Amino acid sequence: MGAHLVRRYVTETDTEPDPTKKYEFDPQFGFEEREAREMVATQDQMNLAMLPLEQRDYCAQHLLKLMKCKRDTFPNLLACKHERHDWDYCEHQDYVMRMKEYERERRLQLRKKRIASQPEAA
Amino acid sequence: MAGVGFRRWAQALSRGKGSGLSALLPGCRAASGGSKADLPSSYPLTPEAKAAAAKKYNMRVEDYKPYPNQGEGYGDYPKLPDKSQQERDPWYQWDHPDLRRNWGEPMHWNFDMFTRNRVDTSPSSMSWSSMCKTMFGFIGFMMFMFYVGEQFPSYQPVAPKQYPYNNLYLENGGDPEKAPEEVVNYKI
Repeated sequence: MGAHLVRRYVTETDTEPDPTKKYEFDPQFGFEEREAREMVATQDQMNLAMLPLEQRDYCAQHLLKLMKCKRDTFPNLLACKHERHDWDYCEHQDYVMRMKEYERERRLQLRKKRIASQPEAA
Repeated sequence: MAGVGFRRWAQALSRGKGSGLSALLPGCRAASGGSKADLPSSYPLTPEAKAAAAKKYNMRVEDYKPYPNQGEGYGDYPKLPDKSQQERDPWYQWDHPDLRRNWGEPMHWNFDMFTRNRVDTSPSSMSWSSMCKTMFGFIGFMMFMFYVGEQFPSYQPVAPKQYPYNNLYLENGGDPEKAPEEVVNYKI
């Protein structure tokens, strides 16, 4: 918690990824084959449901199912636990993927620095 | 009896000097009311006028000080120190305890402002300079810290969120005729 801030501002200022800048490494670098993320909900479906833009992500299909369940089971506010869990779990996995992307970028930066400093040492 | 009064009235009317309605009204008042000498009048120019004004306002001659004669309309009204009623002794038995004033005491020109519900000139325990230093020191410190926060922002160690359909190109108002920049998001 906050170790990345110490790294970014104090100890490893040149290699720690800057969240405002675009990541510079090729997404396929280091992978044999990378699977693309699949979007299930269509643009028309999201438009009809009038989802706010922040919620039109790769978990939108679970959110649409949840909204339908809530509308169908009102006034029972405790009803849609399964759908809510599915959406929450999808969002959680999305966040974990974001953390992994950040870590990948950080390690590639360190590797780049390591390789750059090797010919000087050798 | 009424006839006598009516005759007297008619005689006074014929002798009278006024015109219009003032000629019809009797030129006398009850002796119980204040006289014209009790009302505030013009700026006192001689020491005798000063002494008379001081007596009129129930003040000592050495305490009495009129406002400077600059045509502002104060006349001979005394210039009293600008102290609010809140500063007066709360334990003394005033005639009017809520106003902290005795009967007959000369009233400040802005007495209605200096009542205890309104402006208060009581001295504060902190000096003006130390109050200023405290306030501007705090504001300056907060501005400095917010500036530092802008230069070194705090964030979570995560990559930016990925959105489908070329970063929601159409939803963000992109031109449907133009081809958007292709964005492919991968699993990790």
